[in-house]
Amino acid sequence: MDVLPNEEEQMVKNLAREFLEAECPPRLAREMEKDDLGYPPELWQKMADLGWLGISLPEEHGGQGLPLTYLGIIMEELGRAIAPVPLHSTAMAALAVAEAGSAEQQRQLLPRVSRGDLILTWAFTEQTPRFRPETIHAEAVPDGDDFILTGTKMFVDNFNVAEQCLVACRTAPAAADGDTAAANPGAGLSLLLVDTASRGVSHTPLTTLAKDKQSKVFFDGVRVPQANLVGPRHQGWPIIQRMLDRGTALLCAQMVGAARKDAEMGIDYAKNRAAFGRPIAAFQSIQHICADMILWVDGGQLLTYEALWKMDQGLPASVEVSQAKAFCNDKCEAVVRSSQVIHGGMGFMMEFDLHLWFRRVTAWTMRLGTSFEHRAKIAQSLLDQPGRVRLGMDQIPVG
Amino acid sequence: MDFAYTPEQESLRQEVRAFIEENVSPEVRQEIEELGIRHRGPKVREMYRKLGERGWVGISWPKEYGGQDGSRIDQYIVEEEFARAGITVGGAGSGAPAILAAGTEEQKKYFLPGLIKGEISFALGFTEPQAGADLASLQCRAVRDGDDYVINGQKMFTTAAHYASHIYLMARTDPEAPKHRGISIFLFPMDTPGITVRPLWTIQNDPPAPSGTTYGDARTNEVFFEDVRIPASCLLGDENMGWYVGAMGLNLDRVGASRYLISVKRDEDIVNYVKENQLGDYAVAEDPSVRDRIAELWIEAQVCRLMTMRSMSLVEQGGNFTYEGSAEKVFAPEHGVRTTETISQILGPYAQLLNGSEDAIEEGVFAHNLMGSFQSGINHGSTQVMRDQIARRGLGMPRG
Repeated sequence: MDVLPNEEEQMVKNLAREFLEAECPPRLAREMEKDDLGYPPELWQKMADLGWLGISLPEEHGGQGLPLTYLGIIMEELGRAIAPVPLHSTAMAALAVAEAGSAEQQRQLLPRVSRGDLILTWAFTEQTPRFRPETIHAEAVPDGDDFILTGTKMFVDNFNVAEQCLVACRTAPAAADGDTAAANPGAGLSLLLVDTASRGVSHTPLTTLAKDKQSKVFFDGVRVPQANLVGPRHQGWPIIQRMLDRGTALLCAQMVGAARKDAEMGIDYAKNRAAFGRPIAAFQSIQHICADMILWVDGGQLLTYEALWKMDQGLPASVEVSQAKAFCNDKCEAVVRSSQVIHGGMGFMMEFDLHLWFRRVTAWTMRLGTSFEHRAKIAQSLLDQPGRVRLGMDQIPVG
Repeated sequence: MDFAYTPEQESLRQEVRAFIEENVSPEVRQEIEELGIRHRGPKVREMYRKLGERGWVGISWPKEYGGQDGSRIDQYIVEEEFARAGITVGGAGSGAPAILAAGTEEQKKYFLPGLIKGEISFALGFTEPQAGADLASLQCRAVRDGDDYVINGQKMFTTAAHYASHIYLMARTDPEAPKHRGISIFLFPMDTPGITVRPLWTIQNDPPAPSGTTYGDARTNEVFFEDVRIPASCLLGDENMGWYVGAMGLNLDRVGASRYLISVKRDEDIVNYVKENQLGDYAVAEDPSVRDRIAELWIEAQVCRLMTMRSMSLVEQGGNFTYEGSAEKVFAPEHGVRTTETISQILGPYAQLLNGSEDAIEEGVFAHNLMGSFQSGINHGSTQVMRDQIARRGLGMPRG
């Protein structure tokens, strides 16, 4: 039991911070909000050269084979720097391929991800914004050696620059299993790798709070080779769940990094801003807000790394992931809002950088599961299974 | 990072559980019910003696003073299992960390083995009627007189004073110096002539709280010192350095299993209760509002656990606390209050029924907790003072 970073983890963190402080000023995040690509290819290439893009991908495919906690550290530092790079969506899809993809898919895709010449994304949500299998209506119908994919996906991250998109779709109707369908709505789902340049694929960019690149994506009779199936046909749901869990925990790391930096900016501002003849940092009302900001970020960080660590150990972790996301949703938002409050009117000004963090953290609270969704999962594991609960003992996830 | 206990630590936990099963018999429990855990009757004393034989008290203290040179995590595991069984073993508030940091060889050899054997325990003589949060303004006086000191003054909320063997007293030795630089710490027996202990009764125990009630004690005390003469060898650390000597031990005294469990035990209790019970026709565990709130509290409880683990990890790495102990001391007690108050809204009017009342749930434990939960955010440094410390020591913010 040692919940603090060890020497090696601390070293990776320090190096990442130094690099990003030099290479990724807030100006870059601001510029990329108006950029067509939304990310700077030079920075992306440098990150690849540092080995970050494949840090948790298998060594035999050009990665570093390090635990997810290391990717978490990178995501935390990227969040701190609000680095406008498509790593989160790329890593989510690449890790799913590393887990469940065929040898051929892994050989084709993963080395390119590590090298920095393949951006990936994933698509799950449709009209109903809940991470439940019954919300999936996009359908892939077999046709010779191909599937014909039809459906619409919402909130697809970095679709504008992704070469491949890992799409959650139905290959069999939920009712195909007859009476068991209601009990097992996950049956009949599959994951397909879709080339975003395929005929029949189109997208509409969404204008978002974070001014990031998200799209509504239309698949209109898109022909996808059956060889692009990731994992077994009809049995994609467990793979999707693990992909979502990993992505959620990694997003938490990014939120924690951004929220801590945002808190630090609030604290620094308070030390320099004078009112009533003294720095406002000398007022207890301000001090106590700042103390709470640090408590909240620390809490989110501890929950996040416990979740990532459990996944690394191959232990059930979806309850831990939900704990981290529900807490980060509420508390990281409280942190960035508090920092806005400390900054007064300045934080409201477009020319001042603080809003770059505020808008992103706020937007990330809505991504990959709301507080209500995640708490519902926790309540299930606590209340809907027999046996007494005890803190510190594993809660077994349900569903 | 490593969020698991080692196999050795897991097996220690099993050993401790087996020990508790074997040695905390119904007779021992009955004696605890009758006398309280701190007034040890013969059966409880025998249980503590066996516990000492296993080397499970003060595991992380040096061998030469009766400890095991073991890990703080091992000690935490033992403390946690016993605390869950309603029994206090070493841990928070023992005074030992400051003695280890600042005591003379003679003091370490006398007090530490005595604490381990359970023959010595300390009442903490800090607070005074006019010195609570502003502890450094304390007025209790210690005046050097030849080879002795003579103590005059009053302490307040000295909870263990009526059963502890010794007092860990903060007194003013230099009234001319700036307030933090004129304080010293003394360790001496409670039966020294000139000490008077008077009870102060708390709101939590009328009627008597059931076992398993957390937070407050039934009784605390005020203690009067009238020309109390003690040898100069009772001084801990250097004269007038008491404020800093005390601070050495304080962070370590704030962390540990019993303090953590005080704040989170109720989370387990309410989950287990609503899983196993309905209130009339109302299936509590199926109420979506209750489910959401319980999950929210459960997450906070996990944060309390992880903050405690962080403190343990810091100690194990030999690192220094800047704000982490204070962080734990803010988050956990306030969480405990949120849980206790939420339970009252989950159980409704049943949560007002005290011990002995018709229809009281679990002997009224939830009602008795309601009267005491806020108290853990007050004692041993209030959450407001803790936030000051986080801001000033942790974040480098200036004094007002």
